[in-house]
Formats: sequence, structure tokens, C-alpha cells
Amino acid sequence: MSAPSRWKYFADGIIKENPVLILMIGLCPTLATSVSARDALGMAAAVTFVLVGSNVVVSLIRKVVPGSVRIPIFIIIISTFVTIIDYVLQAYQPALYRVLGVFVPLIVVNCIILGRAEAFAYGHGVFDSLLDALGKSAGYALVMLVMGSIREIFAAGTWFGVAVTPAWFRSAPVLFMIFPPGAFFLIGILKGIVNRLTAGKV
Amino acid sequence: MLQSKTWIVVSLVLTCVIAAVALSQVYAVTKPVIDGQAADALKASLSEVLPGAADFVELEPGVVWSAKDAAGDRVGIVFKVTPRGYGGPITVVVGVDTTGRIAGLGVGSDMKETPGLGQKAREAWFRDQFRGKSETEVALKRDNGTLDAISAATITSRAVTNGVREGMADYIHYLTSK
Amino acid sequence: MNPAKILMGAFLVNNIILMRFIGLCPFFGVSTSLETSFGMSAAVLFVMMLAAWVSWLLYHLLLVPTGLVFLRTAVFILVIAGLVQFVEMVLKKYMRGLYSALGIYLPLITTNCAILGVTFLNIDYRFNLLQSTLFAVGTALGFALAIILFAAIRERLEDSPISPSFKGYPIAFVGASLVSLAFLGFTSLFGISL
Repeated sequence: MSAPSRWKYFADGIIKENPVLILMIGLCPTLATSVSARDALGMAAAVTFVLVGSNVVVSLIRKVVPGSVRIPIFIIIISTFVTIIDYVLQAYQPALYRVLGVFVPLIVVNCIILGRAEAFAYGHGVFDSLLDALGKSAGYALVMLVMGSIREIFAAGTWFGVAVTPAWFRSAPVLFMIFPPGAFFLIGILKGIVNRLTAGKV
Repeated sequence: MLQSKTWIVVSLVLTCVIAAVALSQVYAVTKPVIDGQAADALKASLSEVLPGAADFVELEPGVVWSAKDAAGDRVGIVFKVTPRGYGGPITVVVGVDTTGRIAGLGVGSDMKETPGLGQKAREAWFRDQFRGKSETEVALKRDNGTLDAISAATITSRAVTNGVREGMADYIHYLTSK
Repeated sequence: MNPAKILMGAFLVNNIILMRFIGLCPFFGVSTSLETSFGMSAAVLFVMMLAAWVSWLLYHLLLVPTGLVFLRTAVFILVIAGLVQFVEMVLKKYMRGLYSALGIYLPLITTNCAILGVTFLNIDYRFNLLQSTLFAVGTALGFALAIILFAAIRERLEDSPISPSFKGYPIAFVGASLVSLAFLGFTSLFGISL
């Protein structure tokens, strides 16, 4: 394959096949952990670790794994990576771990991961699978960053913990954004915008 | 051969074994770190509720500690209670000085509450109310006591308050013993 | 903890979909029609209870005593996958009607965050077996309530004039936001706080 089309695997994941806004998968943790920019990126990092790990391993074994039991084997592989990041976060990033809570182990049922393993890594080489994973992760991180930032700025007036709004704004925070309704509302608006921008192009 | 029954079974078993081995290694490496953090966090939370304390001696495992200051004099006791708040067990650490009054109160981070309302039990104003109170004074105003509850979090407020009072009743004897 | 509080809490105040965000994929995927919503809810109730029991038992009777706690993520998800397969087989054989009614929703339950979520939360909250059961039932009922309410709304939305970019998911999310706002009002219902 020529070089330009290889990078397509990476680039697609960011906009054209953005997992959250285009493919509409992996929504649960997106809404729950995007309460602040830093936590959102933390979650994206955890997902990246698992996605890259599982895509690469699945791709490595794709020629020898028996088709009929491939899903259970993929699940075991994914849960291994999830458990690894679970304990690593617990040990070295306890504050982030407390925020992400039950959503760390829930990464194992994150549709993005099993979806990419089955739809892509199972049928492509290791390097391509790596690119695909990185691309989807980047796309995911982008959405998380946007949502986390908007929610943090509205609800706390800060960005990554640094005050970016005038004091009068921060004294009357828009708590709506931190609570569930705000998250649903925000992603609805974002998806509406994305639909508008991609109308006719996709 | 790749689709044969034997390979199916073998590949499944092999995957499980490799996964289990990898995970046990990761666990072995991270568990000590996690436990160490827990120990440090414990010491920090105990010191926070009893200013001046430097050393803690466990009287009942995980429940009561006797506290001494740097000079070796007894400064009080610290006990931990875990009343059930709405969202689950809440860890409350209470420091009681030698006069039998509360020196400080800390609400642990075991609470798995939805962010926002449930976490209010950790708010400074609620916890500060407890300072200087003796056992009989520890109750919500609506329960004939002296403390205000957190609005929209009555269950949690009451759970914490009653848990603290019961803890004082149970452990205050340690102040004068040993 | 008061059994009624566990049940009501899981059902309304801390509704798994609208307040905890767990179980969103089926929420948006299945709620396009009332009929499928009922079907999915029934399947979820059944599997969630079974999964809660089996995972709780495995965790407390096997993983904890043998010090293999770190295997819980893998074990729980495999239990759920296995349960779903098993339920599918049993239904196919003994309750064909229900089996065809549920159709594709049964296998979809495996990746339902709500089921796995409940198994983990039962451990985190240190529930005993009875409390876990109540929590699972309350959660499944809450799931059903959210999905059915939402399906009813979406069916109405089908006939409403909405700008093309907002048709489908966007308006669905905004709708969910409003339902979630309503559920936020359940805070401190019966004295249960968030």
C-alpha cells in the first residue's frame, strides 16, 4: 500500500470516522467523565491504552485465532488491558482513578474497542491496526477535550484548573453543565453541528 | 488444523493463562504501591483531625488509634466510623482531644456518590460544626441537637452525625485507659 | 441500608441511564419504538438479575478467598457473555415466542454497560446478596422506565418538524437532556439524596 493511503487509517479516525460523533459508539464514558478538561483527557488516555493494546495484539494473532471463538478471546485480551490500566491508574494516578471510578473497568464493554478489534484489527496488519487505533483514539480525545473544556468552563470557570473567566462569571456557575442533563444537551448540540457541517459531504 | 476442536480449546486456555500471568505480574507490582498510598493517606487523614498529633498507635485494628504528640504526651484519640449514607458507606474520621470534645472531623473519599450533592458532607462548614462539641451535643438540630443538616442531603447528614455520636460513646473510654 | 431506599434509589434518584450515564448505547439504539423498548427491558431485567447473582457469588466465594481479585473484570464480562448465550439457548428451546420477540436484543445485552456496571457497583457499595438483588432489580426497572419513556417521546418526535441537521441523534440527545432534568427533580425523594 502506498504511504498516503496508510495514513488514511489514522486520519479517518479523527474526523471522518470519529467514534463518538460519527460512529456514535462509546458514549457512556464520554458523557460521564467529561466533567473537566483534565479528567476528560485522562479518560481518553485510558481508552487509548486499551484500544492500541488490543488492536495490536488482535492483529498479531489474527492468523492463528480460531474464527468461532474469536470474540471470547478478544474479550479476554481487552479485559486484560483494561485490568492493567485499572491497577496502574490506581497505583500511580489515584486522584484521576477516583474521578473515573466505575468507568475504568467499563472500558471493557466500550463498543469502540471490541468494534475496532472485530471490524479492523482482525483483518489488517499490525502497523495499520496501530494507526487505526491511534486515529480513533485521537478522535475520541478530541471530542473529550471539547466536551470537557466546555463543561468545565461553564460550570467552574476554569480550564485545566486555571481560571479563564472573570470572577463574576465564576461566582454564578452554570451547574447545569456538570449535571447529566447538561451533558446530554451538549452532545446533542455538538452532534447537530457535526451533522450540519457534514451534510452532503459524508 | 487452525479450526480444529483441539486448537479451539488450546487457544482459549492459552489466552486465559497468558492473561492471568500478565495480570498477576501487574498486580504484584502495583499492589504494594496502592497499599503504601493507603497507609500514607491514613496517616494524613488521622493527623488532619487531631492537630498536634504526631504518632498513632492502633488500639483496635482500623477503628481506633491513640494519638501522641512529638513529645510523647497523649493528645487524644482518633476513631473511624462508617455509617451508611445514601450512596453507601461513608468513612468518617473523628479526632477527640483529652477533654472529650471533638478536635476535628474528616469525611473520607469512599463515597461513591454522583458528583455534586452527595459530596457535600465533605464541605468544610458541615464538618467544622462538630469542633468543640461533646458527645451529648452531637446531633442534628431537628433531632434535638446542635448541628445543621445539609439541605437535600438529610440522610447523609444524619448518618454522619449519628455515626459520630455513637462512635464517641463506644470509644471515649480509651481517653482515660492505658 | 434500607431495602426500599436501595430500590427507589436505583430506580429513580440515581437512575442508571439518566443520572449515571451507564447503558446509553441501547438507550439510543433501541428506543426508536415502544415495542422494542419493552422487549429490551424485559431481557435486561432478566439478565441483570442473573448476572448480579452469579458475579456476586463468584467474587465473594471464589475470587476473594483465592486472592484473585484482579481477575474480576475478565471474569464478570465473561460471565455476562456466557449468561447471555445460555439465556438465548434456553429461550430458543423453551420459550420460542419470547425468543423471537427479543430477536437481536439478546446478544446486544452483552455489551450493555448497565449489566457490567451493576456487577461492579454491587462490589463497590459492599452490598450483600440480598442488597445486590434489590439493586439489580431497581436498576433494571429504572432502565426500563427511562427507555420506555424515551421511546414514547421519540415516536412523537418522528412526526415533528425538525431542522435536518438535528433530526435523529441530536434531537434525541436534547430530548434525553430534558427527561434527565426531570429526573434530577427526584433528588431527596423519600429522603434519598444523590
